[in-house]
Amino acid sequence: MNRPVEYTITFFAWISGIILVAAIGMLISFLLYKGIPSLNLSLVFGETSPLDALLIRKEVVDGLFPAIVGTTLLVLTSVILAIPVGVACGIYLAEYCKTRWKPLYNFFIDVLAGIPSILVGLFGFALSVFLHKHLSEHIYPCFLISSLALACLVLPYIIRTTEQSLGNLPFSIKTTALSLGASRLQNILFVLIPHNLSGIISGIILAIGRCAEDTAVIMLTGVVAMAGIPHSLLSQYEALPFYIFHVSSSYNSQMELMKGFGASIILLAICICLFTISNILKRMAANRFATRT
Amino acid sequence: MKKTKIKINGLNFFYQQKAILKKLEGEFEERAITTIMGPSGIGKSTFLMVLNRLYESIPNCRVEGKVELKLDGRYIDIHKLPLTTLRKKVGMVFQIPNPLPMSVFKNVAFPLKLSGIKDGRVIEEKVEKALKNAFLWDEVKDRLNDSALQLSGGQQQRLCIARAMIIEPHVLLLDEPTSSLDMEAALKIGELLEDLKQKCTLIIVSHYMDLTKRISDRVLTLKDGRLEIS
Amino acid sequence: MKSFLEKYAERGFLLSAILSASVTIFILSFMFLFSIPLLKGGHIVQFLRLGWNPHDGKFGILPMMVGTVIIAFYALLIATPFGIGCAALISVFSRKGFSSLLRKLVEIMTGIPTVIYGFVAIFLLVPLIREIFEKGTGMCVLSASIMLALLILPTIVLFISDAFNSVPKNYLDAADALGATLVQKLIYVIIPSAWKGIISGLVLAAGRAVGDTLIALMIAGNALQIPRGLADSARTLTSHIALIIASDYESPEFKSIFICGLILFVFTTLIVLILRLLGYFEILREK
Repeated sequence: MNRPVEYTITFFAWISGIILVAAIGMLISFLLYKGIPSLNLSLVFGETSPLDALLIRKEVVDGLFPAIVGTTLLVLTSVILAIPVGVACGIYLAEYCKTRWKPLYNFFIDVLAGIPSILVGLFGFALSVFLHKHLSEHIYPCFLISSLALACLVLPYIIRTTEQSLGNLPFSIKTTALSLGASRLQNILFVLIPHNLSGIISGIILAIGRCAEDTAVIMLTGVVAMAGIPHSLLSQYEALPFYIFHVSSSYNSQMELMKGFGASIILLAICICLFTISNILKRMAANRFATRT
Repeated sequence: MKKTKIKINGLNFFYQQKAILKKLEGEFEERAITTIMGPSGIGKSTFLMVLNRLYESIPNCRVEGKVELKLDGRYIDIHKLPLTTLRKKVGMVFQIPNPLPMSVFKNVAFPLKLSGIKDGRVIEEKVEKALKNAFLWDEVKDRLNDSALQLSGGQQQRLCIARAMIIEPHVLLLDEPTSSLDMEAALKIGELLEDLKQKCTLIIVSHYMDLTKRISDRVLTLKDGRLEIS
Repeated sequence: MKSFLEKYAERGFLLSAILSASVTIFILSFMFLFSIPLLKGGHIVQFLRLGWNPHDGKFGILPMMVGTVIIAFYALLIATPFGIGCAALISVFSRKGFSSLLRKLVEIMTGIPTVIYGFVAIFLLVPLIREIFEKGTGMCVLSASIMLALLILPTIVLFISDAFNSVPKNYLDAADALGATLVQKLIYVIIPSAWKGIISGLVLAAGRAVGDTLIALMIAGNALQIPRGLADSARTLTSHIALIIASDYESPEFKSIFICGLILFVFTTLIVLILRLLGYFEILREK
C-alpha cells in the first residue's frame, strides 16, 4: 500500500469523526439557539399559575404541563407493567432455563426487540379494536392501551439487561451461596440480584428513556394534541414527544413554533439525563467485581 | 478402628461426552485429613464438585456410579439427598477466597440465614464460635461490621472456612485452599486444618507438595481418572 | 414449607418467560387476524401494485414499499462509509483520551429522541435542500435519507467499533511486530477479522432504517408515488401506517395497513435470522 492511499484513508477517518461531531453540534446548537428564549414558566404552565396547575385546581390550556404529566404517568405505568414480567423472564433465562429451549425463547424475544415501534403501536391499536368489539363499547385507544403497548416495546430491554447481569457472572460468584446449602431461589434473592442490582436498574432506566421519547407507539394508541391531564385509564392524554411532532406539522404562529423548540429542549434534556444515569449504573455494575482480591 | 465416611463405587464423570473420571473407587476415613494430588487439569476439582453435587451447576456434565455418605450410621446415596441438605453436610472452600460483598459478620452468619435461624443472640454466639475455631476472631473482633472484601487474602480464606464450618458440616472439601496465599498465611491455614480434623472429615485437593501434605493422614493421587494411593 | 415457595417461584418465572415470548406471537397473530379478509379475497396481488385510491378500491402499497427500500438504501449508503470511518477513528487512529471522548459522544447520540431529529431537520435541513434543488418543498427522499443516516450512524459506529476492539490481541501484536502502519493493520488485519461484526452492525442499522417512522413521516413528503429521484417526495410503509390511522378510523382502507404490518414483521424476522447466522447474538450475550 502506498503513502497517498494511506494518507487518504486516515484523512477520511478523521473527516468522518469531524462530520459526525459537526452534525450533532449543529443540531444541538440550533435547538438551543431557537429554544432557550422560550424556556420559562409560561412555557410549561401557560396563563395558569404554577401552584394552581400543580394542585390541579385549574386546567392548563396553553402550556406543556399536561403533556409533561402525560408523559410522566405514561412512563411510570408502562415501566410498572414491564418490570415484573421482564425481570422474572430474565431470571428464568439466566438461571432456570434448559439449554434446549433457550434458542427458542431468545428468538422470540430478539424478534420482539427488533420490531419497528409503529408495528407495536399498530398492535396496540388492533388490540383496542378487538377489545372494543368483544369486551366493551367504551374501549378506544387510550392511556391504558398505550401503556400496554409501550410495556411490550421495552420488555426486551429489561429482559436482556437482567439476563446479562445474572448470566455473565463468574462461576465462583454463582455458586458461592449454593455451596453453602442455599436453594436456587435463595441464591437469586440473597446474592445474585442484590449484587447485580445496578445492572438491572440500568436496564430499567434505559426502558424509561425509551418510553419517554417514543412517538410512533403513542400516536396509534391514544395520544392527542389537546386533552388535559388524563383523568382515567381509559381516557386520552397528551405527551411531550407528540406535542413536538404536532407543532412541527401544524403550527399557526411563531410563538407556537418557539414553544415546540422549548419542548424539544426539555425532552432532550430528560432523555440525555436518563441515558447518562443508565450508563453510569452500567459501569458501576461492571466494576463491582474488580474489588475482589 | 477405621470408620469410612464416604464410599465411592464405579464413579464416571463426563464433561461434554469426554470422560474425566473413569470407574473411580475410593473410601474416605472419618475425622481424618485426606489429600488428593495430581497434575493440573486432571480432574481433582471436578472430583470435589461431585461430592457436593456442585457439578450440577455446570452444563453438559454427566455422572454415573454411586457415591455414599454415612449419616446417622447409614450410608446414603448423595444423589438421593435433597441438594440443600447435602451441601449443609458437605461444605466447600474454594481456591480463591470468595467472601460475599457483605460485612464480616454477615458473611459468617449467611448459612444461618439460609437455614432460617433468626434469633439474634444465637447467631452472635455461633458467629463468634466459628471465628474462634477458624483462628480469626482476635483479628476481626473489632471489625465485624467492616466489609469482608477489605481483609487480606489469608484472612478472607479463614473467613470462608469459618463460614463453611458454622453449620457444623460432617465433611469439608478444600480445593487448593492455600495456593493463592503467601507462606505465612498458608502455614496458619495448615494449623487450622489440623485442628479442624477433630470436628469433621477433611478432603483437600492440592497440586503441589506443600505443607498440606505434612498434615495429611493419607495421600491419594488422581491419575487416569482414578484414585491411587501414593 | 420452603420448597413449595421454590416451586411457585419457578413456575412464576416460567410463566413470565412464556408471556414475554407470546407477546411476539400475539403481535403476529393480530396482524394476520386483521389482514385475513383481504388475504382471503385474493386481493394480495392488488396490493403489490400501484395506485392507492381507497374510493376506487385500489389499495396498492407498492409505492410505499419502494419508498421504504429507497430511503433506507440511501441512508445506509451515506452512513456506512462514515460509520466505518468513525469506528476506525475511535478504535484505531486516535489516542485513548480523544477516542473515549468521541465514543461517549456517539453513545449520547443514541439517547436523542427521533422526533427531535425530525423536528430540527424540518427547520434546518429542509430549507437547505429546497435551495439546492430549487424546486419542491425540500421534503424529499434526500432529506429523509440524510437524517435517517444520522439516526443510524451511532448504531453502526458503536457496533463496528466493538467489532474492531474484539480482534484478538495476538493478531495485532503480530502486525505491530512486523512493522505494519496503522492503516495497514486496519485493512489487512482488523477488518478481515471483524467482518462478521461489521456486517451485523450494518444489518442491524438496516433494520432500524426500515423500521423508523418519524423521519419519513416528518420530512419525506408523504406523496403517494414511486419516487424516481432524490428530489421526489415519497412515503414509507411505516409513515403510511401512521397517516392512515391518523386520518381515518373505521374505514375499508384500514385493513390494508395490517398487511403493511405483516410485511414489516416478516422483514424483522428475516433480519433476526440473518443476524443469528452471523453469530451476532452470541457476541451480544457474551458482552
